Amino acid sequence: MTLHQHLPSNPRSIKTRFAIRFLQTLKRLNKNRPISSSLREIHGRYRIVKLAADASMASVVGSRRVWSRALLWKIRNRALRCNSMKRKRIHALRVRRRGGGGHPTRESGFGQANDLRKLVPGGEVMDICSLLDETADYIKCLTTQVQVMRNIADLYTS
Amino acid sequence: MQPCSREMQALNSLLNQQDLQNGQQQISNTHQIHQSHFDPTSSHDDFLDQMLSSLPPSSWPDLPFASNPIGSLAAGHKLQDLSDQFDDQSQSALLVSKLRQHQISGGGAVAGNSPAAAKAFLLQQQLLLSRGLSAGGLRSPTGAGDSGILQMPLSLGTGEGFDGSQNNVVDGSSFKSPNLGGEGSVEALYNGFSGSLHGTGQASSQAQHFHHPQVQNFGAPATAMNQAPPASGSAEGGAPSQPRQRVRARRGQATDPHSIAERLRRERIAERMKALQELVPNANKTDKASMLDEIIDYVKFLQLQVKVLSMSRLGGAAAVAPLVADMSSEGSGDCLQGNGGRSCNAAQTASSSNDTMTVTEHQVAKLMEEDMGSAMQYLQGKGLCLMPISLATAISTATCHSRNTIATNPLLGSNGEGGPSSPSMSVLTVQSATMGNGSGDASVKDATSVSKP
Repeated sequence: MTLHQHLPSNPRSIKTRFAIRFLQTLKRLNKNRPISSSLREIHGRYRIVKLAADASMASVVGSRRVWSRALLWKIRNRALRCNSMKRKRIHALRVRRRGGGGHPTRESGFGQANDLRKLVPGGEVMDICSLLDETADYIKCLTTQVQVMRNIADLYTS
Repeated sequence: MQPCSREMQALNSLLNQQDLQNGQQQISNTHQIHQSHFDPTSSHDDFLDQMLSSLPPSSWPDLPFASNPIGSLAAGHKLQDLSDQFDDQSQSALLVSKLRQHQISGGGAVAGNSPAAAKAFLLQQQLLLSRGLSAGGLRSPTGAGDSGILQMPLSLGTGEGFDGSQNNVVDGSSFKSPNLGGEGSVEALYNGFSGSLHGTGQASSQAQHFHHPQVQNFGAPATAMNQAPPASGSAEGGAPSQPRQRVRARRGQATDPHSIAERLRRERIAERMKALQELVPNANKTDKASMLDEIIDYVKFLQLQVKVLSMSRLGGAAAVAPLVADMSSEGSGDCLQGNGGRSCNAAQTASSSNDTMTVTEHQVAKLMEEDMGSAMQYLQGKGLCLMPISLATAISTATCHSRNTIATNPLLGSNGEGGPSSPSMSVLTVQSATMGNGSGDASVKDATSVSKP
């Protein structure tokens, strides 16, 4: 089944760009790794796929948003960590970053903002105003991600 | 000075409104509007058009405001009420429209009751001057006074002729004032007032005296007015307001910069929340805290969906095992609860047989006798759900015919558990098709059946 019959109405929208990038990443993944059904392998593949999805999403959005930058930074650090085994240093970095980032919670009405900060990548160092802005963008991107992935899944299984 | 107190209030409010309006650029269009709406009924209107056309747009904020109480007292009060009610932006637009009307009617009103209006006008001018003098800055209050006073003859002039009335005295004196400048103008005004107050008898002579200067001064006052109002516009923020506050705030709002910043921040947050409300479904909550909760839940739900979808892409149902712990602990109230458990069992279904099913059934039956809740929890832990037999049979028959995602849809309704992506579902439905028959027979007695979705 080809995707050509589903021509997008807006070729530059986030949805189409994400779809294209995600599919490319998936193709690359499938080429590299063989299909196996052992538990550990599947879990590993899940993580890779999720990573691919997040990475493609973030790269589509680009550096315009704080959350996309934070996500890309996290992914790259993770790659660094896996590759160079500099775990100790990265852990120290993470701790330092958490401590130094601070939690600018000013208004009591936004006590739940702390939960939101943990959810949105890169949310720890933002103030409420920009946090809400980032959350809106993040929600939009997540919904497109879900839609695209669901469509792909439907396409490939029917 | 009882009757003057109200006027003073009106004047105060209007002059302070001037401070507010000075920064706004929206009155630039009043210039054109004013001209277009002005019906030149007489030669006096031509004079006025000349005057008005020569004025720069920036002068408008000062002139109309000051002229209105002088044109008609009621207008001043109206404006005060208006200014208190509306926003800056809408205020200016509304005031512009009102001012046009007042401008046009002011001339008429003055024409109607000229003596009274003139007297009231003179009293107001006196108040203006006295206030301006007491403020200490003579230049700018005279600028304000000038602008106010200058406009008055214009409006008054529209109503009647330039000869033979008290107004003309004031006209002449005020026209003279910008030429004299500074303190001299104030004194000249005072002289003019005192002269005019004495009686109308002198008015005619003075009118003639001033008539010519009026005609000649049309060019000069125009330019002077050009200079004075902008100067007054800029200086009014300084001199008359130095003894008072910088910006007269609207009713019920503070004026120090901290609270203004606070207000801006709150407004920004409010508009962001509104934008979020549109994105998140079930956004009918008006409370900020509950809205935030809703947002948090929705973000969690979306992230979960991405996780599940990415897993199903590989058909790796077993990889969802770590999610089961998340699922049971999270209250993410949407459909994916128990989904992880279900697909977790998919790996088992490949090798499972009816034995496990019957064992499970017995256990569930035992638990149900004691406590429904624990039974449900046990089932959820196994990744199973309870559904009516009719539904189970329907599903099994449906899945027998097609392995499509269509089969997942009836399952969405079962016990509020939603369907994950199709690959894992298709695997399970095949199993359930075979299992369903067996379990259907076994549990015919029960009202419900335990079945693998």
